[in-house]
Amino acid sequence: MINRRITILGPEGTNIYILIQFFLLNFISWFTLFTSIENIEFRSSDVLSRQIIFTLAGLAVFFITTYFSIETLYKLINPFLVASILLLVGLRFTEPILGVRRWFDLSNIGIPFFLQPSEFIKIAIVLFLAKTISSKQNIFVSLSVSLTVLIFIFIQPDLGTAILIGTTIFFMFFVSKIKIRLASLILILLVVIFFIFLELGLLGQYQLNRITDFFSGEDFSQQQSRISISSGGIFGNYFAQSLNYDVFVPVQTTDFIFSLYAKNFGFVGSLILLFLWILFFYRVALIIKSTDLDFEKYALSGFVFLLSVQIIINLLTVLGLVPLTGMAFPLLSLGGSSILSTSIIFGLINRVFIENNVVL
Amino acid sequence: MFSFKRLIIVLTGFFCIFIFILYEIFSLQTTDISELTETLEDQNLEIFYIPAPRGEIYDINNEVIASSNLESYLFINNKKISIENIDTYKQLIVYNFPVLTDDEVVKIFNQKELLSKVISLENVAFETRRKLLSYEAFEVIELPIREYPYGPLTAHIVGYIGKPSNEEMNLNEKVIGNNLIGKTGLEKTYENELSGIPGQIIFDNNEIINYLPPQSGSNIYTSIDIQLQEVVKDSLIQGLELANKNFVSNNPIERGASIVLNIETGEINAMVSLPDFDPNLFVSGISEFDYKVLSRKQAFNNFAIQGLYPPGSVFKVVAYWLASSESIFPEDISNRNDHINCEGNLSFGFDDGSKQIYNDWKLSGHGKVNLTSAITQSCNVYFWDIALTIWRNFGNEEGESILQDYARELGFGKITNIDLPYESAGIVPDRDLFEYWRINQPDRVRPEGWLGGDLMNLIIGQGAITTTPIQVANSYRTLITGKNIAPYLNKNATVEVNNLINVSDEFVSFLLKDLNTVTSNGGTAYKAFSILGKVADDTGGKTGTAQNPGDRNNTSWFVGIDSISNPKHIIVTVIDEGGSGSAIAAPVTRRIIQSLRGLELTSVEFGEVTE
Repeated sequence: MINRRITILGPEGTNIYILIQFFLLNFISWFTLFTSIENIEFRSSDVLSRQIIFTLAGLAVFFITTYFSIETLYKLINPFLVASILLLVGLRFTEPILGVRRWFDLSNIGIPFFLQPSEFIKIAIVLFLAKTISSKQNIFVSLSVSLTVLIFIFIQPDLGTAILIGTTIFFMFFVSKIKIRLASLILILLVVIFFIFLELGLLGQYQLNRITDFFSGEDFSQQQSRISISSGGIFGNYFAQSLNYDVFVPVQTTDFIFSLYAKNFGFVGSLILLFLWILFFYRVALIIKSTDLDFEKYALSGFVFLLSVQIIINLLTVLGLVPLTGMAFPLLSLGGSSILSTSIIFGLINRVFIENNVVL
Repeated sequence: MFSFKRLIIVLTGFFCIFIFILYEIFSLQTTDISELTETLEDQNLEIFYIPAPRGEIYDINNEVIASSNLESYLFINNKKISIENIDTYKQLIVYNFPVLTDDEVVKIFNQKELLSKVISLENVAFETRRKLLSYEAFEVIELPIREYPYGPLTAHIVGYIGKPSNEEMNLNEKVIGNNLIGKTGLEKTYENELSGIPGQIIFDNNEIINYLPPQSGSNIYTSIDIQLQEVVKDSLIQGLELANKNFVSNNPIERGASIVLNIETGEINAMVSLPDFDPNLFVSGISEFDYKVLSRKQAFNNFAIQGLYPPGSVFKVVAYWLASSESIFPEDISNRNDHINCEGNLSFGFDDGSKQIYNDWKLSGHGKVNLTSAITQSCNVYFWDIALTIWRNFGNEEGESILQDYARELGFGKITNIDLPYESAGIVPDRDLFEYWRINQPDRVRPEGWLGGDLMNLIIGQGAITTTPIQVANSYRTLITGKNIAPYLNKNATVEVNNLINVSDEFVSFLLKDLNTVTSNGGTAYKAFSILGKVADDTGGKTGTAQNPGDRNNTSWFVGIDSISNPKHIIVTVIDEGGSGSAIAAPVTRRIIQSLRGLELTSVEFGEVTE
């Protein structure tokens, strides 16, 4: 195990680009929420301070994660997976919040925070698959474990996260040089399961109240979101100040935050944000290329898949190109669990970088 | 084996999607905005507001005293009703809900609202509901229903809700749509906390396109003890019956109030006003007849905070405090232990030469009386003498209102700021007020204005003075603690300090000891308290019997303290036209003290007629 000295930028050898990236994205999130305070009537006024507290916690988590060597981490994968699954199963025994069982309300024990286990199971699944695939274990064992997890997420119900994890599972197998025939089989399996549970899920959710059931199918919020994005123009409203549209978009601080961002900072802002992410994926790809450990390659690819698919689903939803799913934009959306899990991912990527660029 | 080539393929795919998304954003943001804004304006959104469930109200043991439950209601989307289908819908309603009268059905379709309420679906079979919902103009919406499980018992405390008046609509922004608002009681005081945020059903032309669920209001946790409240109400009813049985009265004796005030905290543990009403009547709308009957009985008044009565002898503690602090005693004596000789009346001459005789309630006289026995036996002559001393020392100069100043320090003449609406302030009369009345309301006062006799009346709680039961309770509390704070029901409210007064520990122990003599052997309330046996040696209080003008019976007062060694509660009982404080209000209070001390409850028995 390699012990690192602590420098002002974290453990020695920290990837400065990843760190800057992390700060920049967080800053954009703060700025977006800050600029929205005048536009949006917040139900609770402490949104910005909560986000700042979560990002600071995220920063701490980033560094803490960085201190775990890959060797230690490797041993912790199975306990982490089991713990995450137990949390997921535990959700079945909670009171539904907003009609779904997706969060643990920690305010009961004095912490004003809703813990969302599916944010952490994503990481557990990626690490688990990276371990099993790289150590050439039986593909069906790893497949069945991942599918069990998928089912639990399905019945929360949390369609968006289920699709995200399903896609990630597929791509992780895909990059492992399995035969195209087997890959297609896995793909078909995932799709079939998806539709079976979509049916079952909807049946269980059947409600008599047509109005409360509205959100399944209609795209009113997406339509409003498109108008909001469009009103941003090339340079955005925040600096232009001239245009002020009163647009109604539900959950503007969480899933639909991009519509607010695009409205305030226009196409230039959107370009900068996406460019930052593409740059980040490019850097991670460079790290993947430079490592010689298969486990690290798989884990990092898994994280890239997770984050990019998440961003893609979020943007397609916000643009109204796919039906409403409910997916956070990493580091931009308000939400503690999402920020913390993304921080863990950044920390792990950083650690892999450190181990491959030994400076001692 | 990891295939970097395949990773590049996947990432290139992702990259293409990102470029596609950027292109989409670009084209969206460069389209002619005017076209899109037009659609925004064209949207023509209309909103129907759904009332939010009000916060619940709890007693000190977390018993619900005001609850909010959701009930499903059938609504009709009026935008989807046209000449072609109106008959179909009418038939559907008439067929499925025969309880609705023709008028009611017509009314449903005549509403100008977006949605009109048809009927509660609580007792409607699931199949019928589903059948109704297959018609597109029917919607099911859950509405909150307020319920007061204890009905009349807590009516004056929690109050009731109703449709807002125009004035209230303007004052309160949250009053939108069909929200009912608090009209009296805690429902009114804590309207902002309890009301929550209404839900919205958003219409685009005739289609419902979005639904924002309502958000419940916050709960209120009160200091009311519902079990104690039951005992208090029961005791008060027994007191009213007893008064009706024993006194001849021109009017039925049916009004009264009782308060249990926590000395240490200022919380109200029980508050009853009779007659009362069932606040549940207001939830679905009260009939005009019921309203008028209750209104005529003054059932909507919370006499505990709104009833104005002359306090009679319970007011004597003000002079008691004044005498001790300022050393103002009857002429010729200089301390609390010196005696005067009470012969049952007092005659004194005014400056203008006239002479007047004042008779004590006990014509034979109380004999030798000092400050303690003046309280014990409620001797008027002793206090009149104090008034005379004040009159002679200060008469018509600065300082002549010293008694009134002391009374105001204890909270008389102004509201106590309890967290209930419509509290009365009462009157502490003085020369200025009489002067004001002489000019503006000449019928109320003699043309001579303020005279020595008015001060003599005031010192024994008679004449123009009026007080509320909560003021009396709070004044005794203030004397014992030195702190005049606003009594409260909401345990989470910030405690409001009205003013501080200067009382020494020595004074408080004298006061408590002297109040104890009232319920002990020889005191005016001894007969009412004697059933307590030895416990009576540890209780205290003050009786009051105040005369009313005209043909109205005397007001019956009693202020009780549950324990002298460890005072925890002040109990004030008033029975309007109850005849005598020591005979009626004292035994009612005694029964409440039995409950507070965990003793066996005995029925309210007629005490002794004094004063």
